[in-house]
Amino acid sequence: MSGEGSARKIVGGWLLLGGLLAAAILLSLMVGQIMITPAELLRGLMTGAGPGSLTLRVLRGPSTLTAVGAGAVLGASGAIFQILLRNPLAAPDVMGFMSGAGCAVVAGVAFGLFIPLPILAAIGGLVAALLVAGLAFHRSGRQSPLTLILVGIGIGFFASAVSSFLVLRMPPQEAADAQRWLAGSLTARNWGHVLQVFGLGALLFVVLALQVRAMALLELGDELAAGLGAHVERARYGLICTGVLLAAVGVAVAGPVPFVAMMAGPLGMRIAGVRHPASRLTAAAIAGATITVLAEVISRSAIPGLQLPVGVMTGIMGAPYLLWLLWKEVEAGEL
Amino acid sequence: MKAVVGLALLLFIAMALTLVVGVRDAGISDLWNAFFAFDANDPTHAVIRSVRVPRLVAGLIAGAGLGMAGTVMQAVTRNPLADPGLLGVNAGAAFAVVVGALLTGYADSGMMAALAFPGAAIASVAVFLVGGARSGAGSPVRLTLAGVAINALLLSLVSAIILSRNETLEIFRFWVTGSLAQANTRPLEAMFVALVLGAAIAVIIAPRIEALALGSSLARGLGTKPGAVQLCALLAIMLMTGAAVAVAGPIAFVGLVVPPLARRIGRHVLRHELAVSAVLGGSMMLLADTAGRLVVAPAEIRVGIMTALVGAPVFIFVVRRLRPGALT
Repeated sequence: MSGEGSARKIVGGWLLLGGLLAAAILLSLMVGQIMITPAELLRGLMTGAGPGSLTLRVLRGPSTLTAVGAGAVLGASGAIFQILLRNPLAAPDVMGFMSGAGCAVVAGVAFGLFIPLPILAAIGGLVAALLVAGLAFHRSGRQSPLTLILVGIGIGFFASAVSSFLVLRMPPQEAADAQRWLAGSLTARNWGHVLQVFGLGALLFVVLALQVRAMALLELGDELAAGLGAHVERARYGLICTGVLLAAVGVAVAGPVPFVAMMAGPLGMRIAGVRHPASRLTAAAIAGATITVLAEVISRSAIPGLQLPVGVMTGIMGAPYLLWLLWKEVEAGEL
Repeated sequence: MKAVVGLALLLFIAMALTLVVGVRDAGISDLWNAFFAFDANDPTHAVIRSVRVPRLVAGLIAGAGLGMAGTVMQAVTRNPLADPGLLGVNAGAAFAVVVGALLTGYADSGMMAALAFPGAAIASVAVFLVGGARSGAGSPVRLTLAGVAINALLLSLVSAIILSRNETLEIFRFWVTGSLAQANTRPLEAMFVALVLGAAIAVIIAPRIEALALGSSLARGLGTKPGAVQLCALLAIMLMTGAAVAVAGPIAFVGLVVPPLARRIGRHVLRHELAVSAVLGGSMMLLADTAGRLVVAPAEIRVGIMTALVGAPVFIFVVRRLRPGALT
């Protein structure tokens, strides 16, 4: 981990990660029913006029930036759980927290509650996390990460079923919108969404930055961490809360998009070649943003004249990764 | 004996409710007359014969098929979380039918429905390979996660294909969560034959599967070829799941909830368990469907959502009861 060569490699890794995100954003702004060249985009940015400006201000800018923000918070959230549970499968989407958040949002809309979506999503996510932790708890002592993951999958099934149930009780037009949102959607986002995801996201990233030291200590194992002066349980609960809230912010603007949170952590870590928790979280956020932006542009341009929900695309991208992960673990005789 | 009477009663109630309950209330006399004194001008009779009877038959085929397929899967894998819905076998069947309709340009029809069988077979093989079943007994976690991944992949693709063809929301719902609402357009007779074939194979090989559960070396000593038994089991699962999906779409959780109950009632004799799971599966499907029609009448909650509402808590219950050692 030391020496000239590895430092250069790490800088290269970060540049690659950043470059991929920049390329994805540029692609997302250019591609669509009408192609906009980078020159036109630049002119639009400088002069505030022409097709480039319209694209940036109204047509694609807000959706792309919402995708960046949602992907970043989801990626960071996934990395938190993956680091805490030391398992690449531990992510808020696999473990049902995002379905819980989505379910609470649908319930709020269905019952006509005037509560802002991020708050509803946060409540749903936290309730789901509590249920998972409570139900996975075993009398005989410690809970294994695998029980947590399986119980989480069960909670996810239940929350999705309740969401579908509630959707069918809504008036038809609302129901169609809600169904689209539940599949994960970034269609027609506006600057309000951008402001929301970046504002709340930034706030939570500050909180997370304050917790990163404790996280690094937890990585050493509970006893060593306690010996080094960490409040193990408090630190862990704090990090879980931050992780759930980050996921809820993503769900509030983009719906429960599957697999972004699960894919981002390992992908970011691999591309940037980093190990320290702070770097892993940052890399996961950037990777999550890249994945979401790419999924968004593919979902709206893969089939001309048709907007697929972005969640369909992340499902098509993420499921093979999960299969590969399982295959690899089977080969290695682990899991 | 008590169990047989109880099961018969349950099935009878489930069937009667399916025929009687609905937007147009039908009494027992309407029911009797619809069959034995049919009046073509009576709308209630028409509804019973052209809508509710197909719905009943589809529910029985799908429920019995998924229940028995779940029992066979759990017996072969010795995994209490095995269910054709959760392991992606249903999704494989649905995917094959939808892709078939896409490639040929036809609307999905009886011919297309036959594609459900190879789809179910390929998905089963895939999930067992990735789930690590070939290297001894696959762990419940691995198998379940492989199922989650295959489900997510195939259902995302099904959504993309159906949305790109501008099909109606009804067709989308049928192929993604499953429904009995279109029972009268499904190829019921052919799928009933497939179900019976699959069930017959399962019943014939049931003692061999039980021998296999003793361990493969002991089974060989008793004259059982593990490979051949597994192949026959796969064939039975393919026929029963394919039939269920072709009439009702990919419905999850029936094959998870039914087998543990069948094990208790059937006293751990696989042939008895199969018979019990056919009855329980059919009853569960019909009751879930009827409940779904009652809750939000005149609209309806698709039966796949109702089974998930019941099945997800059962899933968590089963996970909690797994021994910690069984997870790794």
